[in-house]
Order: sequence, then C-alpha cells, then structure tokens
Amino acid sequence: MSGQLPQLPDQGGPAQPLLSVRGMVKHFTRRAALPWRPATTVRAVDGVSFDLCKGETLGIVGESGCGKSTTSRLIMALMTPTAGEVIFDGQHVGPSGLPLKEYRRQVQMVFQDSYASLNPRLTVEESIAFAPRVHGLARNSSVARARELLDAVGLAPAQFARRYPHELSGGQRQRINIARALALRPKLVILDEPVSALDKSVEAQVLNLLVDLKCAFDLSYLFISHDLNVVQYMSDRLLVMYLGQVVEIGPVDAIYDAAAHPYTAALLDSRPSMDPEQRRTEPPLTGDPPNPVNPPPGCRFHPRCTFAEPVCSVRVPVLAPLPHGHAASCLMVEPASGHSRAPRVAA
Amino acid sequence: MEQLVHARDLHVRFVTRDRTVHAVNGVDFDVAAGEVLCILGESGSGKSVTLRALMGLNPPRRTVVTGTLQVAGNNLLTASERQLEKIRGRMVSMIFQEPMTALDPVFTIGRQITETVMRHEGLSHADAARRALDLLELVQIPSARQRLLAFPHELSGGLRQRAMIAIALSCRPKLLLADEPTTALDATVQIQILLLLRQLQQELGMGVVFVTHDLGVAGEVSDRIAVMYAGRFVEEGPVTPVMRSPLHPYAKGLLGATVHAGLRGTRLTAIRGAPPDLEYLPPGCAFAPRCDLVEPACLIAVPALRGPTPDHRARCILVAGTTAGMEIADTNACHLEPGAARQGI
Repeated sequence: MSGQLPQLPDQGGPAQPLLSVRGMVKHFTRRAALPWRPATTVRAVDGVSFDLCKGETLGIVGESGCGKSTTSRLIMALMTPTAGEVIFDGQHVGPSGLPLKEYRRQVQMVFQDSYASLNPRLTVEESIAFAPRVHGLARNSSVARARELLDAVGLAPAQFARRYPHELSGGQRQRINIARALALRPKLVILDEPVSALDKSVEAQVLNLLVDLKCAFDLSYLFISHDLNVVQYMSDRLLVMYLGQVVEIGPVDAIYDAAAHPYTAALLDSRPSMDPEQRRTEPPLTGDPPNPVNPPPGCRFHPRCTFAEPVCSVRVPVLAPLPHGHAASCLMVEPASGHSRAPRVAA
Repeated sequence: MEQLVHARDLHVRFVTRDRTVHAVNGVDFDVAAGEVLCILGESGSGKSVTLRALMGLNPPRRTVVTGTLQVAGNNLLTASERQLEKIRGRMVSMIFQEPMTALDPVFTIGRQITETVMRHEGLSHADAARRALDLLELVQIPSARQRLLAFPHELSGGLRQRAMIAIALSCRPKLLLADEPTTALDATVQIQILLLLRQLQQELGMGVVFVTHDLGVAGEVSDRIAVMYAGRFVEEGPVTPVMRSPLHPYAKGLLGATVHAGLRGTRLTAIRGAPPDLEYLPPGCAFAPRCDLVEPACLIAVPALRGPTPDHRARCILVAGTTAGMEIADTNACHLEPGAARQGI
C-alpha cells in the first residue's frame, strides 16, 4: 500500500484539452401513463460537444430543464449516455480506454444539496477519508489527509473532524463536500450549483475558497450554475445551454460584452439591475422554458425569440464560429442562412 | 395616505418545553397603501416570521407575540380566529415561495380561486367563475379559459406562481405579503413575475411587504428596504440610499458579498462567521461577533436606530454622531480583510 496517492502526472501536454465531450446525447423514455397512449421521450441532452482546457474554469448556464445537470452526470459517468463519448486527457473513458475507477480518481464532483450528498452516518473525517481508502491508501494516511483537507477548506480539524453532517451549517457542509472532492487529488472538479443553496454572505466565502483551492491544488473546474453573476465571476469560458443543446460558447468577457445569441442576451438582461434608479421595464423574455419532450422544429429557441423569421422554424442552426474562439448557434450568425440579419457570404 | 400596517416593538418568540427561540426582537414599521416595503435578510433572520405575524399564520400554540401590531386598523394580537378569518383574504393575503406546495394538488386552479371568492365574498358560483377568469387574465396567463381547468402539476413554474398571485388577489386585498415569491424561479421568469407584481401593485394601489434574501430583487421592486438581522431591523430607508450607501456594516457586507458584474478577478468581501443562534442572543449588537469594526461599546446594549436623515437609519454605534453618517457610508469600500473567508464559519 502506498502512503501517498498524489495527483497523477499530466499526459498530453498543456495544449491537449483535459476533457473533451463529443456528441453527448441522453434521452429518457417515459412509459405512457395510460396503455393506449404513446411513450414519450425527454431529450434532456441532445448533441452536446465541447472541450475543457487544462487549468481553466468552464461555466455552464441555462434555465432549469436545459440539461446542464444531466450533462454533468453524463461526464461523471453517473448515467449511461444514449450516444456520445468522453475523452479525458486524450484517453477514451470506458472499458477500452481509461477504466472508470482511474477516471473518477481524476474527476470529482460537488453537488448542490450539501446535506443529501453526505452520508449521515459517517463523521466528516470518515467521509473525506473514504475515497482514499478505496483507492488503497492506509487508514492513518487517509485520516491524516482528511485533516489536512479540513484545514485547507477553512475548518479547524480538532473542532470539526469528529462531527456528523447534521451538526454543521450549510456553508460548513459544502466545505466538507469540497474537501471530499479533493481527497483523491483530482485534476478536474465538476461543481453543480455549489453555492445555490447558500446565503449570500456564505456564498461569497465559498466562492473565495474555490478560487484559492483551484490555485493551491492545480485544478480545472466545470462550474454549473443558474446565477449569471456567479458564473461571470468564476469562469474563464462560458457555455450556454438551451433545451439540451449548446447555443453559445466562448470567453466570458466576449459573451458578456456582446452576446451573439438572442437567448444569451435575454438571459443577461434578466439579471436584476442592482440600481433602483434604472429598473427593468420590459421582461426580456416572455413565457417559460418549453418542455424538452417535444422541442420545436428548426431553431429550438424560435418561439420565444424576438428576431424569429419563417426560416428559423425550418432550418436547424449549427454552431457558427466568431472571432476569439466564440461560437453561437443562431441563423443570424451563420453566413447565408436565409435570415435577413445573417452575414453575407464572403466573396 | 392610508396606514395599512402599524407595528411597534413587535416580538415573536417560539416557546417549547426545552427552548425558546427569539425570532423577532423588537421591530417597528409602518406600511402605507401603495407602498412596497422590502424586508431583506438571510435565512434565520426572522423575515418570514415577521411576515407571517402580519397574517397570524405562526403556529398558535407555540408562538408568543408581544408589542403592537395593527393591520388595516385591526389589532392582530387580540383578534380571535374568527376575526382573523375576516381579515385574511379581504384585507391581507400572501404569496408563498413554492407554488407547488402552496397550491392544492387535487383541485383545478379555477376551483381554488372560486372557492376563495365564494367563501370570502359570498358570490354565486357563476359570478365567482367569471371573477376567476378575469383574475387569470389580470396576471397575464395565456389562454386563461383553458388554464382554469388545469391542475397545478400541469402548469410550469412561472404559470403556477401567476396562479398563486391570482388567488392572493382574488378578494382584492389592501395588503399583499410576498414571501420570496421568485426564489424558486429561473432568472428569465423571475424578472417577469417581479414586473407583474410591480404593475399590479401600482394598478390596484396595494401596500406590499416583500421578503427576499436577494439584494437585486429588492432593488427591482421596493420603495423602502429594511435589512433584518437576528430578528431586528438593523437598517431601514428608501431603496436608493440603502443600496447605494448602506450605513450598517452588515448591510455593507451584504452588498459586498453579492456577486455582480465587474467583480471578476477581485476578491469578494465575504462576511466572516455565521448568523447567531436565536436561542442565545448576545445582549449587545447581534452582528458584533462578525463585525470588523467592533468596539467594547457594541457588546453592552443594542444600539438605537439613528442616521443622517430621519428616513434612513441604522442600528450601529458608528453611525452615532449623525452628521458623520454619510462619511462612513462613503468609505465603505472593503474594510473586511482579504482571506476573511478562510477563518472558518
């Protein structure tokens, strides 16, 4: 038994993406409520591809039901995809390539519900030491590591190591979850709404902690949130999802300065103004996010879009590249798409 | 203007055999018709308990309410259950955070509205049905006639919240209480509901008490803001001065901790520590254990409300000399040291 369990060495060099998701699809089939009705298919994730570079934080935003949490669970291999693959540092994840146990040592996850994701019968210390024990670290070494991690997330080990999850506040529990995710020295941490359930003052503490830990432990983050301000604060690049598809991806500053997709623009405009003298007067979007059971034909956003034209309900847009690694899936961006605002084809 | 709420030295305690929780500890406020008061606070600050007290909704056997509390001229503290029934619905009504749990899953939306109207106003079934349709149109539910026949689970989150607003408005209350009505909604739907509430409030001239933990939401809807901490209003004032130049260190910290545009790459000014246990409140300022500007005088007694104008006041001894109030507010930048977050909560 080794006494250490360090972070595994880098494989493909800094230019190779740490994580590549290719053509990820997840459909849930729902049996009909009544025998004579047809079964329905929920297209939770419908063809999502992206790369996550080493050392970066990629933010994923979207309304509830857009498939952002399903995507994270597919990446974590917590559910089997209908189609698509995950490539981690050049290696295909699966029986033929990188075995799941090795993969999960390098990719860990923090969930939104800090209480439900901890075992109520284990002390904090046991919870954190659990995964290192599974990966063959001796008992004393794994407990020692758990105490180091408690210290790293700002909880005094002497005070907290022997407590149970119900004895902690929400912010403290989320710190435990973060410590547990770091116990195997992963390279990538998937954060699924890690601060949504916390109060504002505690939220800021945890965000500061996540920024510190990223540096200290040499991590990359996949940061999922519905709070656009938090995502802007945390991320280097942003991925916007709508009804199971990527509608825009690119550097955070480029997107917040000039969103190319009308949905992204509407999302950004939906944030409260923080200035009582300049209140919103018109809602940027009407209606609720539609149901992923029967997504609209053509561009999935066209029923809510102010720029929609007849072509939008027929032609499916593809991710069209823009300068600075920015891309959007909108007919207004795609050259010669037939939309009146589309750019003309270069001669 | 008509005074709808008059609360003075309002205390709410929850008493069980083992312990007493001091949820609200001396709150004074008035709400006039046509005015929106926002109570801003974190979980456990007593904001929802204050709101429930305005409708007599706290569990009767465990709750001890003292002080003065009048709603539309009725003394709520001495009102019998029968009198409360008359006040609820016609004078005051409430919108809750989670429409799925607040609505009854086994009745249609239309039935839930007509039931309320028939019970409180004694209308016939046909009149009540007409009123229900008008209400769904008022809250801008598309294809309202069909939606009257829908069950709550058949509606999306935003439509459900609109339906709940319709029920709350069904007996034309003078005072509307809103308990985090947009917290469970997506950002795009949240702004729709906030704009709808503001529009309805202005059209109907209602007084509104709006409870939220989100500073941005408060800025969108309120005329006045009261910042609540450990059962007391630590700061109150018109919305613009409270959001632009808060006086109380807690309110400043909350503003600094609220992530907004332009903070990327900087450190968030987190408030260290966690809110106090409402069972054992300190004798002095309840925020003192988390405050970076704490002085011995803070620990002796709860500071009185004072401030630069009679309108905008805070419970902090640093706001004392009253004239110095604005200067303190201007130097609010970051007096919290970086790395405060790592000192544990």
